[in-house]
Amino acid sequence: MRNFEYHEPETLGEACLLLKGYGAAARVFAGGTHLTVLMKQGLVRPGALINLKKIPGLKGIVWHPGKGLTIGTLVTHHELETSSLVQRVWPFLSRVAREVGNIRVRTMGTVGGNLASGEPLTDLPCALLSLGSVVSVMGPSGGRSIALEDFFVDYYETVLAEDEILTEVVVPPLPPRTGFEYIRFTAGSVMDRPSVGVSARLSLEPQGLACREVRVSLGCVSSTPMRARDAERALEGQDWGPDALEDAAASAARECSPLDDLRGSARYKREMVRVLVRDALSMAHERANTGGKEP
Amino acid sequence: MKHSVTLRVNGREHRLELEARTTLLEVVREYLGLTGAKAGCDLQVCGACTVLLNGKPASACSALAVDADGAEVLTIEGLGDGAALHPLQEAFMECGALQCGYCTPGFILAAKFLLEVCPHPTEEEMRRYLGGNLCRCGCYMEIREAVKKAAGL
Amino acid sequence: MERLDYRAKVRGTAVYVADMQMPGLCHGKILRSSIPHGRVTRVDATGALGVRGVIAALTRDDLMTDRGIDPFYGPVFKDQSIVAVDKVRHVGDPVAAVAALDLDAAEEALERIVVEYEELPAAFDVGDALEPGAPLVHEKVRRSPGGFADLAGVDPIEGTNICTHYKLRYGDVEQGFRESERIFEATYALPTTQHAALEAHGCIAAVEAGGRIVVWSATQNPFVVRTQLANIFKVPVSRVRVAAPYLGGGYGSKVYPKLEPLAVALALKARRPVRILLTRDEVFLTITKHAATIRVKTGVKNDGTLVARQCEMLLDTGAYAEIGPRVAMKSGMTAAGPYRIPHVKVDALAVYTNKPPAGAFRGFGVSQSAWAIESQMDEIARALGIDPLEMRLKNAYEEGSEFVTGERLTSIGLKSCLERAAAAIGWADRAPQATAGGKRRGKGIACLIKGTITPSVSAAALRLSEDGSITLFTGTVEMGQGSETLLASIAATELGIPLERVHVVAGDTDVVPYDLTTSSSRSTFHMGKAVQLAARDLCRQLGNIVAEEYGVPAAEVRFSQGKVRFAETTLEYHEVLFKRYGMPGGTIIGQGEVRTQTLVAPGKKMASVFWFVGAGAVEVEVNPDTGQLKIVNYAAAVDVGKAINPQGCRQQLTGAAITGMGQALYEELAFDDGRPVNANLIDYILPSLGDMPGAMEAITVEVPHGQGPFGAKGIGETALIPVAPAIANAVQDAVGVRIKELPLTAEKVFFALQRARKKA
Repeated sequence: MRNFEYHEPETLGEACLLLKGYGAAARVFAGGTHLTVLMKQGLVRPGALINLKKIPGLKGIVWHPGKGLTIGTLVTHHELETSSLVQRVWPFLSRVAREVGNIRVRTMGTVGGNLASGEPLTDLPCALLSLGSVVSVMGPSGGRSIALEDFFVDYYETVLAEDEILTEVVVPPLPPRTGFEYIRFTAGSVMDRPSVGVSARLSLEPQGLACREVRVSLGCVSSTPMRARDAERALEGQDWGPDALEDAAASAARECSPLDDLRGSARYKREMVRVLVRDALSMAHERANTGGKEP
Repeated sequence: MKHSVTLRVNGREHRLELEARTTLLEVVREYLGLTGAKAGCDLQVCGACTVLLNGKPASACSALAVDADGAEVLTIEGLGDGAALHPLQEAFMECGALQCGYCTPGFILAAKFLLEVCPHPTEEEMRRYLGGNLCRCGCYMEIREAVKKAAGL
Repeated sequence: MERLDYRAKVRGTAVYVADMQMPGLCHGKILRSSIPHGRVTRVDATGALGVRGVIAALTRDDLMTDRGIDPFYGPVFKDQSIVAVDKVRHVGDPVAAVAALDLDAAEEALERIVVEYEELPAAFDVGDALEPGAPLVHEKVRRSPGGFADLAGVDPIEGTNICTHYKLRYGDVEQGFRESERIFEATYALPTTQHAALEAHGCIAAVEAGGRIVVWSATQNPFVVRTQLANIFKVPVSRVRVAAPYLGGGYGSKVYPKLEPLAVALALKARRPVRILLTRDEVFLTITKHAATIRVKTGVKNDGTLVARQCEMLLDTGAYAEIGPRVAMKSGMTAAGPYRIPHVKVDALAVYTNKPPAGAFRGFGVSQSAWAIESQMDEIARALGIDPLEMRLKNAYEEGSEFVTGERLTSIGLKSCLERAAAAIGWADRAPQATAGGKRRGKGIACLIKGTITPSVSAAALRLSEDGSITLFTGTVEMGQGSETLLASIAATELGIPLERVHVVAGDTDVVPYDLTTSSSRSTFHMGKAVQLAARDLCRQLGNIVAEEYGVPAAEVRFSQGKVRFAETTLEYHEVLFKRYGMPGGTIIGQGEVRTQTLVAPGKKMASVFWFVGAGAVEVEVNPDTGQLKIVNYAAAVDVGKAINPQGCRQQLTGAAITGMGQALYEELAFDDGRPVNANLIDYILPSLGDMPGAMEAITVEVPHGQGPFGAKGIGETALIPVAPAIANAVQDAVGVRIKELPLTAEKVFFALQRARKKA
């Protein structure tokens, strides 16, 4: 790696000002698990790294029944996985976190870094998308909230401006009778990056078969993690049933735009989206139906 | 430009003047002469460079030393007690869990962390905690045995 | 028995070449071609020398003007050069190099070297390369006088990209096809893959004041490297020292010169020791495993008897021959599989392309041919309605069978391997069965025969010191296979002393007697035997000393339990020495040598001094919805002759099988117009602990070989070879589709199933 200037600001304000000062030449540094790969491959050559880890208030995991789960941007995947709070209120999220990368990526890599990277072949963004997550962002002139579905722009690109920092992710509370499933599909080795990611969140009406709210999100098969809105519409407001399910699955396969690459052809990935959306929705429905407090 | 970095490596404090881009792997290998951690892939995949950073496995090839200022670093050389070996080191030897030995320091440190978090690991836990250490000689079956043995299973 | 290298390895104190330090050591980096094929019109390194910290730069100018250097080398043909002289022939081909005080300076210096190319059309694969009028990778191939005995007469075909065309003719295949009741034809393919040893290649070279060349290298072949360096730098072999420390894996990637000639040339120019350590992506550009396309035509009787087999193997040998010619020859020889077939015709071609060179890879071409043959065996068995195991047993080589070279095979436990591997996975209970969740299970089996490099030489020496301890000198390189301990244990056993009293000095050409190579699964047999013979020679010498010193007939001197006995007297070894030398001092050296020949008796040839046979059996579970497959159970059975170290055998069997799984399911080095696409471990996928089945069985069959130490043969490669075809056969058993191209991905299975459903 080329050398770079290195700063450890102690407040968000300081960090944003530094970023603003450097313009495109500086990069935010958290776990470094994504950034160092880009730097070693020569894809980015930052003149400066702004390490966020001295800034207090970015590592909390807080649950509030009204607000939901708030995850600080510097929480690592491993911390998310092993948090007793998360395991108690939303164990499904812990299950997603423990599949990311490998143990070293999980102990160093952060939730915020993962989201801000815009990395297509990863897990958390897809899962969080189906949960209706909202991210908080801080810039030199103040903060803003952005729905995760509006956060990603393109491969490796988010709406974050050069001088903005993602500070937390909020996952709103889920209605009763909600089920969730995330499926991480790898082409070959289980340790490989995913080639398809599917997340389904299904909330049933308080009584009966009807699906009140359906979220289907897809990872790795478009330029960004995406909501499969046609798939959602195929089920939302409908009674749960095999035809609606097949409809949703087929819609999702049509809506995405996967690429041909070493991990599979576009055609195969679409087929897998169909299979996995069907499987994920079925599992989410089963969990919603068991009526348990947690999906 | 150099930064002052203090690292507590295997229980000993070291104060170094380093460029920001210096990785932990460069520090332990080039500056401290601890060559047990190896360069394998440079991209956090193979685990040959694994060290325990504040007790947790980290890819030393990609961890910045400046970022680890004030941290505790454990390398394979810090395991065991003089001539006495750590139970994992004994178990790896007894079970034949190594051949060329290049992945071994990283694997043993990763296994140490696994057993601290999961004292009686399931197959699933072993997969999740050790799946990120590659062994091209193919000692995975023996490694699983060694970890179970060290865990008293 | 604790392995001698284990303590250091678990403590992280074992020294590999990247860990070595030396006074004055500087860093070398290589400038590599960014194009697959082109004439080098200009190389100007003056800019590099202006970078602070740069000590020297090496270009073709240095090589072509220095009469003391012959820059061309290669184990078979001298088609490689230290750096590009007239052309670059693959992406990554070295063009220049620099030595500097630190890596930064070296990297900056590389950027200042000006290279201009006249890009040429390239042959990206074998198809391109064999087209009439194809661009020639080598206009003319330089030959190597006095090379390997087994490759004498192997020639490239001038004016083409055919590096080697090996032909085997046994019987008359056309006659055989006429006599056949059914004929089957199919084509199978494998991509380029890579060894991916966790330790990348590395080398330290120094030239001493008197011109002596000293090299520390991660090499499996110190002696061959020494010979090549002596030829390149035009010095006597005795003025070259090549020493190999522990290797972090080899698997064939570290045989024959790689970095050493360049490192020495750079050290000469820099007048300082130079260390070159490759980065991971550079390893992919340095050596690969041959991609292959294999066409098989087999004629059979309806009862499954094999009558005739014709194979055409096209091996993509990349830009330089390396050991490709031998790969073509050796794999060609066993290409028809381990079966008694009256009529066999094989054409095995190693073809030049503009890609990184392919060379030795664990299995040496046989994993390629076995992929084809063992896949087709199952296709034939199914078409005839015969159990695939039965069909193999029916045709398998047995003790005394005639091989395609006309020689008789001995020490062949093939059927035993097949039966035991099959039994281990419950072959008799085979029936495609649906399991919960709609997944399907199936079982498959495959087997192989492979030879070992013959002729060859291994020599060992045992030095007895004044306290009775032993130093074992061997050229065998410890690369994880446990040779250090195995050889020491043979010495200890023969001499009746504890293992701790044996110290091994390995892989240093200055010190140890000649050994051809650590490869070809040959060291237990050749070097192990040489150690045995050295021990016996040592005892013979001790016996003579006792006879002289005590006036006893030599025939009455006996050795047992580490002591020398005659009449009523028992002596320790050190007492014998003391008696001879009158003080604690003196040296006795026992020597042993194993030399194998291809010509055993007039008119009687032997292509291999011993043969490896083995089988692999697998149960897989296929998810028909996705095509994904999981290995439920795997059994590797190898005829090892004698399992001297059972734990070591098990390691080699399961270890090789795991690499075989990676090769079967995940691994492919992809190229885009000659440029490697995934030359890194994120995108080149190796098998992980997470991919392992619950259990793997390692079965050692022991059919002793008369000439091996305690009857032992070789172990290292066999278990890798049957994995891919066994898996493909199991997939067909499970879901009825046949995949003919590796890697055997879920996608391939998925679409094969889709096509099969459409047909139905």
